[in-house]
Amino acid sequence: MRGGRRIRWALTALGGAATIALALLPGAASAHPLGNFTINHLSQVRISQGSVEVQYILDQAEIPTFQEIQRFDRDGDGAISGPERGALLERKLAEISPDLQLTADGRAVTLGAPRAPSLAFPPGQGGLSLTRVEASFVAAIPPGAHRVELRDETYGDRVGWKAIEVLPGEGTDVRSSVPASDPTGGLRAYPVDLLQSPPDQRDASFAVSEGSGRVSAPDGEDVGPVTTDRAQDGFAGALTSGNDHGALILLLLGSAFIWGALHALSPGHGKTMVAGYLAGSRGRPKDAALLGLAVTITHTFAVFALGLITLAASAYVLPEDLYPWLGIASGAMVIAIGLWAIWTRLRRWRAMRAQHDHGHHHMHRHVGHAHTHEPSEAPITTRSLIALGISGGIVPCPSALVVLVAAISQHRLGLGLALILAFSVGLAATLTGVGLAVLHGGRLLERLRPERRLFGGRVAGVLPALSATLIVVAGTLITLRAIPQLG
Amino acid sequence: MAIRRDSLTMKLAAALLVFAAVFVGVRAIDGSSASLPEQRAEVAVREGELPSATTTERIEGLQAQVREAPSDSDGYAQLGLAYLQQVRESGDPTFYPRAEGAFGQALRLDPRDFTATSGLGSLALARHDFRRALALGERAAGIGPGVARNYGVIADAQIELGRYAAAERTLQHYVDAKPELSSYARVSYFRELHGDLPGALAAMRLAVSAGAGTAENVGYVQALVGKLHFDGGDYAAAEAAYRAALRTDPGFPAAVAGLARVEAARGDYAAAIRRLRELVQRLPLPEYVIALGDTEQAAGMAAAARRDYRLVGVETRLLQANGVNTDAELALFQADHGDPAEAVDLAARAWAAAPSVRSADAYSWALSSVARDREALSMSRRAMGLGSRDPSFLYHAGVVALRAGCPERAKALLARLVDQSPRFNPLYGPRAERALDGLR
Repeated sequence: MRGGRRIRWALTALGGAATIALALLPGAASAHPLGNFTINHLSQVRISQGSVEVQYILDQAEIPTFQEIQRFDRDGDGAISGPERGALLERKLAEISPDLQLTADGRAVTLGAPRAPSLAFPPGQGGLSLTRVEASFVAAIPPGAHRVELRDETYGDRVGWKAIEVLPGEGTDVRSSVPASDPTGGLRAYPVDLLQSPPDQRDASFAVSEGSGRVSAPDGEDVGPVTTDRAQDGFAGALTSGNDHGALILLLLGSAFIWGALHALSPGHGKTMVAGYLAGSRGRPKDAALLGLAVTITHTFAVFALGLITLAASAYVLPEDLYPWLGIASGAMVIAIGLWAIWTRLRRWRAMRAQHDHGHHHMHRHVGHAHTHEPSEAPITTRSLIALGISGGIVPCPSALVVLVAAISQHRLGLGLALILAFSVGLAATLTGVGLAVLHGGRLLERLRPERRLFGGRVAGVLPALSATLIVVAGTLITLRAIPQLG
Repeated sequence: MAIRRDSLTMKLAAALLVFAAVFVGVRAIDGSSASLPEQRAEVAVREGELPSATTTERIEGLQAQVREAPSDSDGYAQLGLAYLQQVRESGDPTFYPRAEGAFGQALRLDPRDFTATSGLGSLALARHDFRRALALGERAAGIGPGVARNYGVIADAQIELGRYAAAERTLQHYVDAKPELSSYARVSYFRELHGDLPGALAAMRLAVSAGAGTAENVGYVQALVGKLHFDGGDYAAAEAAYRAALRTDPGFPAAVAGLARVEAARGDYAAAIRRLRELVQRLPLPEYVIALGDTEQAAGMAAAARRDYRLVGVETRLLQANGVNTDAELALFQADHGDPAEAVDLAARAWAAAPSVRSADAYSWALSSVARDREALSMSRRAMGLGSRDPSFLYHAGVVALRAGCPERAKALLARLVDQSPRFNPLYGPRAERALDGLR
């Protein structure tokens, strides 16, 4: 068992490395590549029965922000604070509102006063700040209006990213002239696509009919209109994301697979190991495969199922405001996992040293660790084998979560899920492999068993500490990235 | 058992975390489900809103062409050139990384692609990396000898590196190969550097009549004509040229700034400030912010001027954070309004990177501002070595000579300045006159 733990820690190190790679991933789409004087904005339009909501996001680069701070900083402390904040936000809203013009069936519609306007100063380059304004404008339109148009003339004479995005509404189907996607993650990173100029979208028109939240929009290059049905397409679409860093993502997927495979050998998975033995001793390759399949499906599904529930819930709550907080929560959680890892490692290391002083009867210590609710020696049926597989996969492994959380904090859920899938497949591959190994030659199993030969003593001593530290570093990175978004 | 309880807690926490995380992630799906960026063909782009519909259209055409034939290196290279032109027209520097990527892709497809090599040279010029620009221009010349456009890259780099004899030969080849707008414009600049203002104007007139450029190209040349008239002290002709540039290309920044300079020279500070503020609001390039600050200072608006100078300081920081070669112009600014010691460092770097008369002028002015008068004077002689009649060169050289104890030299230079263009700058024009009065 000692060797098994070593491997487990080596694996956590791998996980830590993958997490850090994720934290660094969006480097290719930095915020304002040389565009330090740009004013960027995005209008997200959601047309429902009888109402239109325009969620407006403004991202001002360092130079216009500095100019404005100079103008509104009345107390001369170099920052916008207290009443200056309100004055500046009011000014921004007064700049924005008149330049957003909405019509329904050709008639002008008045947008309501901005709801929940917010102002923030995220850090930019050279120790300077950016300005971020978000506000939601809602207008009532005649129920049954067929044609809605938005003209966004805000900051029309300024250089910058100008985009309009359509979001699915309630009780409507919408055919849109503007895309149903936003490659910037809400104006947080601007991808440099060699074959795309930054958008200069000032007009949008929408054909509206009664329906169930379907949106059809021009999507991407020359593919013409593509129908996006969120209810069906969400996860499938998510898995295709991240095509902009092909090699890195392949590498990540590969390491997730290997990580999962090795993870199955670690002590926490004692019961599945046993299941592997049992499958092998029953003598049918089919059983081994079945077991692997059950673990993969369950482990992946545990995450996916939660996702589906949330997808449904998101129709009622706008998760925007939660982003930064959840980002911080995720970061804190990763830090906690890392600290916990360091702590247990230290404790065991001390205990082990004590043991070594008494001689080498370490086999006794770990009885309790290989979970007690393992199956009895009774002959197993196919059904109990599947049950075993499910119990092996039902609770997501904390170390896998570290990666998922990191992916999510980078707004890359699709990638996170793909990594989890790869991880689960790896997990299953080992279990199936163990079963098959037993089947095809009992001796082979002995070699696969996680004994000391995989990692030498010195490496095994360093890796755990390193891995735990990596995780803490990753968690800190995630938290630090989230804090400035709080505003 | 402790270990098991721990792992149970962990698993509970983990499950909660997954829930929260997936909740957040739903929005990420919105962003990532179709990561292909916007298509804008559906909404007609309103003409006149964009700096030039033709460049935008050309870019869209080339993007489509490259998508059709993704292994065509020339398509990528042409697209890179179009992106560079877009920066010139819109002032949007986020096209630089796109241009660089397009040239890079072209060179991956064909390492000996002429257009991409030469285009990377243009990009290096834009970033003030003149040595690299020269190397790339020469490499391109090795691939496609005698292609006219590339002479421009080589000549610009040679001029900025202070290799004037070589630049003259290159320009001669250029004009012989293609007597067009951009070759004549460079000849004009070369003559201007040597103090031949009438010759420079003659070349510019040829450039304008040769035409064959986008509206931006023609507007650019007309604005340069305005600058030549202004430097020569003919403010009425300068205004006419700037207005012509604005008719060709409405809102063309250099022409707007030039018009504001004419207004300031006539003493109409209010109009100049209004115009410059509008320009800076739209395109806060350091050059224009400094002009605004100087005009406000001259108009007695010290607080407003201080704000502008602080903004220039911030822009310097951003340029440095982006790894852009901060150069002579910023050294001059630091000497005038910032930290003179910093100015000396900047100017020394500019001079080491590109020993041109422009760098020499900045270096001498920076040295003089920290009272290293002897070195300043010797650097100033280099700056004036070609016989420049640029008003700010004359002003700097005159004041440097005065501080270094050479009143005769100072008198000659300042007299030439006051005679030629007494109102070249709202702050320094009057100072030059006062200094000259003191010498008489």
